[in-house]
Order: sequence, then structure tokens, then C-alpha cells
Amino acid sequence: MRKVEAAVWRETIYVVCWTAVLSVLLQAVFLILGKWDLTVLFGNLWGAFASVLNFFLMGLGVQNAVAKEDPKDAKKVLQLSQSMRFLLLALFAIGGVLISLFHTVAALVPFVFPQFGMLFRPRFGGMDKEGGA
Amino acid sequence: MLELAIGIILGCCALGAGICMGIGAIGPGMGEGQAVSKACEAIGRQPESKGAVTSTMIMGCAVAETTGIYSLVIAILLIFVAPGLMVDILKSAL
Repeated sequence: MRKVEAAVWRETIYVVCWTAVLSVLLQAVFLILGKWDLTVLFGNLWGAFASVLNFFLMGLGVQNAVAKEDPKDAKKVLQLSQSMRFLLLALFAIGGVLISLFHTVAALVPFVFPQFGMLFRPRFGGMDKEGGA
Repeated sequence: MLELAIGIILGCCALGAGICMGIGAIGPGMGEGQAVSKACEAIGRQPESKGAVTSTMIMGCAVAETTGIYSLVIAILLIFVAPGLMVDILKSAL
């Protein structure tokens, strides 16, 4: 099994931090609206786990793709990775909607937390000379 | 008449979800593929920049995937949540 590169771990940890912060905000919003209950917490955890797992698998996909010498092979690797990850996310989303233990909105909103975090990535430093642009 | 209206609602929701996911997933797939093929070419030219390219690629792929995930969430809502809401609204209106 290929070793996971430091860049993948670093970005995943960054995304975990962002997801945690935004999850706390989501809980706060539900509390303020007076609609908080345990299903909101469980749904949030479910969605956050799915989104972080998706991001980590994407990092692994990128790592495997850039290791290929032929650009066409790399393209195929990442497209296959994307298809499989979307399937995984769809299963998590269906679970979040159908399982009564999870609040639907709280389970689906965290899916976009990593993307939201990556939008602010250049602003929050982290991209050092060795590991990023 | 009510059954026909419910059938139309369910059909439209399913059709909308299919179109949403179908079109929404094309962009990220093509974009990520294109980006990684260019990244491979860059690494081929400058192998020492592999770490930097990987890090930037992860960020780029995450941003490129955003629209696909939006589509997925909307499609799931259209399949599982919207029909029930629409049928409830229809029934209360009649």
C-alpha cells in the first residue's frame, strides 16, 4: 500500500479543523432557532464524517494521479476516483435522509464544509514553499 | 385527478434530480481530469515540484468539486424530501 503524502495529511487536518468550526456554527444556528435536538448533533457528525472522508479520499486520488507518468492515465485515475467518491457521498446522503436518527438538513449541510474551507485556504497561510504555491 | 397530480409531481422531481446530477457531475469530472493531466505534465518537466503541485491540486480539486456536491445535495433533496412536501401542499390546497 502506498504511503500517504504529508501534503494530503496536512490538507486533511486543515479541513477537519474547518469542518469542526463550521459544525459548531451549525449547532449554534439550530440552538438559536430553537430547533436543536440530538438528531441535529448526530446528523451533523454523520455529514461531517462523510465530507472529511470524501476529502481524504480525494487527496489519495490526487496523490495516485500525480504519481502516474502518462497524463491520460492520471486523468482516468482521478475521474474514476471522483465517480466512486460521488457514489459514496450519495450513499451517505441517502443514509442521512432516510435514517430517522439524523436530521436531514444537519446531515446534508456539512457536505460542503471542506469546499468552503478550501476557498479560504490561501488566506489562512498554510501553503508553504515546499508544499504549496 | 389528485393521483394524476401526485404522479406528475413525482415524475418531475425524479426528472429534475436526474438532470441536476447528470449535468452537475460533468463539470467537476472534466475539470479535475484536465487539471491532473496538466499537473502530470508539469511534474514531468520539473519533478522536484511534485509536493507543491500535489498540494495545489488538492485545493483545486476541492474547489472544482463544489458544484458536483451542490448538485448531489439538491438531487437527494428532490428525490427524498421535495415530493413529500409538494404532495402535502397539494393536499392542503385541495
